[in-house]
Amino acid sequence: DKIIRIWGKEGDKWVCKSILAEGHQRTIRSVGWSPCGNYLASASFDATTNIWSRKEGEFECIASLEGHENEVKAVSWAPTGLLLATCSRDKSVWIWEVTEDEEYECASVISSHTQDVKYAVWHPTREMLASCSYDNTIKLFKEEIDDWTCCNTLESHTSTVWKISFDQTGHRIVSCSDDKTLKIWQEYLPGNPEGIDTIGKESAWKCVCTLSGYHNRVIYDVDWSHSNGLIVSACGDECIRVFREEEISDKNQPSFSLVCTQNRAHSQDVNSVAWNPKEPGLLASGSDDGDVKLWEVVLD
Amino acid sequence: MASNFSGALQLTDLNDFITPSQECVKPVKIDRKPGKVAKIRIEDDGSYMEVAESGEEKKLQKAQITLNDCLACSGCITSAESVLITQQSQEELYNVLQENLRLQQASEVNKKKLVVVSISPQSRASLATKYQLSPQEAHHKLTGFFKKLGVNHVFDTSFSRNFSLLESCREFVRRYYESETNKTALPMLASSCPGWICYAEKTHGSYILPYISSTKSPQQIMGSLVKDYFAAKQGQTPDRIYHVTVMPCYDKKLEASRQDFYSDLYGTRDVDCVITTGEVEKMLEKENVTLGQVEGNTAYCVLSGFGSPDGGLGSHLGGGSGGYLEHVMRYAVSQIHGSSVDSLQYKTLRNQDFQEVTVEIEGKRPLKMALAYGFRNIQNIVQKIKRGKMTYDFVEIMACPSGCVNGGGQIRPMEGQTNNELLQRVKESYDSVPCVQPDLWPGVKDIYEEWLGGVDTEKARAMLHTQYHGVEKVASALNIQW
Repeated sequence: DKIIRIWGKEGDKWVCKSILAEGHQRTIRSVGWSPCGNYLASASFDATTNIWSRKEGEFECIASLEGHENEVKAVSWAPTGLLLATCSRDKSVWIWEVTEDEEYECASVISSHTQDVKYAVWHPTREMLASCSYDNTIKLFKEEIDDWTCCNTLESHTSTVWKISFDQTGHRIVSCSDDKTLKIWQEYLPGNPEGIDTIGKESAWKCVCTLSGYHNRVIYDVDWSHSNGLIVSACGDECIRVFREEEISDKNQPSFSLVCTQNRAHSQDVNSVAWNPKEPGLLASGSDDGDVKLWEVVLD
Repeated sequence: MASNFSGALQLTDLNDFITPSQECVKPVKIDRKPGKVAKIRIEDDGSYMEVAESGEEKKLQKAQITLNDCLACSGCITSAESVLITQQSQEELYNVLQENLRLQQASEVNKKKLVVVSISPQSRASLATKYQLSPQEAHHKLTGFFKKLGVNHVFDTSFSRNFSLLESCREFVRRYYESETNKTALPMLASSCPGWICYAEKTHGSYILPYISSTKSPQQIMGSLVKDYFAAKQGQTPDRIYHVTVMPCYDKKLEASRQDFYSDLYGTRDVDCVITTGEVEKMLEKENVTLGQVEGNTAYCVLSGFGSPDGGLGSHLGGGSGGYLEHVMRYAVSQIHGSSVDSLQYKTLRNQDFQEVTVEIEGKRPLKMALAYGFRNIQNIVQKIKRGKMTYDFVEIMACPSGCVNGGGQIRPMEGQTNNELLQRVKESYDSVPCVQPDLWPGVKDIYEEWLGGVDTEKARAMLHTQYHGVEKVASALNIQW
């Protein structure tokens, strides 16, 4: 509905604190808080990305990032808060720099993917970007000399990769796909004891686990908790599932098991899930049915 | 399908939605007669015959789509630029040369076309590097190579670049003085890069076009020189000349096919065919010869680009993309302040492809100019203009990172050689040609007088300047906001 709603907890209830309307002309596909929490970025099908600044509880649109040829699918802030990444159906990933006077300038336009780029997210600690696409691949990007380039391409999924999430260490990635699987990717640094080949100073990434047979439809979202390591998935079969790595698990061939399934979490496709960064076990889900639901995962 | 166009062009023609019902935007005049039903029969030779109810047969005219039509429309299934680009290739040149040969043998010499090839200095540097020759040697051998194939004359676009630089300088100073009353006089944006122009026309339309310099690129000025000045000297009409240019990129093929560079009167283009440096390499391979083996030909005329006082090749200050900033700044300082600058200090900003030059002017605000190469830097320039935060008076905009010497049509690195290593060597080759001020090149002043009747005449404006057209996005199934 082209509107952004900010929700806050008041006592026991969650209340809609602000409504940001008239920021975009079309669907808002993705939003993201800056690391400091004072800014919000919103990416829209109208090909722009807006930056909202929070001042005393009120939000003001302070910048509009233009340049993408068509629908922007995602926006992500780097941990430093000085870089942003946006990705679009125009197959490109753009990197933006925040200047001293709060201006947002294009630092790079990366045309590495061959199809619609669904999502882009920064590494939790390094200045590295990951993106995934309708071209079935996941790509990693780093700044080299003067420009950003693709340093790794992760191929294994047989259909659109909708979303990726780094684990807390940043050495692993979980990805979800239209091929109804979740895949776990492990980073192997140069000189790794496992003997995995690496090129120069670049790490290699290998798919070390595939979770198949759990989901009945396309998996739209996945999130790896940085507090307790749980992985949550959002599926077109209306279910939310939580996975956990088993106690006895080989780093190079990890085993993950399904902890719980919430059937009929929503009455339509579950489009997104996210762990609360502060409260372990608390997660939010969004759906085509128009609801946002909050869930508590209780482990025995 | 490999896309060799500059990054700016590639991003403006993207679509992964295939809608079979998408109408081609080409305004083919289809005479729709309501109420009549007819059948279409496809003949053995592939032509289409319309068979009316009465049995009357009519051959249907083939719909013709030109390169330019497809530039305007983003709706087709394929990336049209890539498909139609094959119309302009070394194959076409071979066809024309073969036709000439056939006419020669059939004693129909009068029907032959005069074939002219104009080589860009960036292509020459790329070829010189690959075949380990000096630019001078490369020029002589390329002349020899083309002439042996039947080409009549070989020129150098460094010569026509003089006009492009001089006109840009004069245009800037004029706009500088106009800027007090005209809001869109400054910043002036360079116009010689077709990748930039096509992007500006398609994406930013009438908003940004007033800022773009009206001066033609060296390729197109050479087109005017060859088809108007040279043709007259040869006693030929423009359509009797087949003009080929050798360029470092594919975007130049699109520039040559612009409607503005087509003469309705003679039914001919100023530049008939653009071949890339890589395509010349293919020609050499086809002829089974390396450039070093070719016998050089030292024939030349004023258009051959021998601008150096010692009678050798000449070049211009300011880098491998023509040196527009360098020349515009120096000229502006000399005109506005009456002084000359020894050397310009370039300050690198966010990246190597974004540099600025500031020159203080006594009693006035300083002159600030910038180089912006590559799509990401073009973005920032355009956005700054849009938001009214532009601080530069002139920007030399080029679509390719590192400029024209790094164009998409240049010869690729060899096995084991990195892009950067090759680029450095091509730059060295390019820079090894001595620089001469545009107004001091032999022939430049004379041609202004003889051909154009002087500087700033009506003919000069017609021959050396052009205009731009914003592309309206056609409402179609694809553009509907879902």
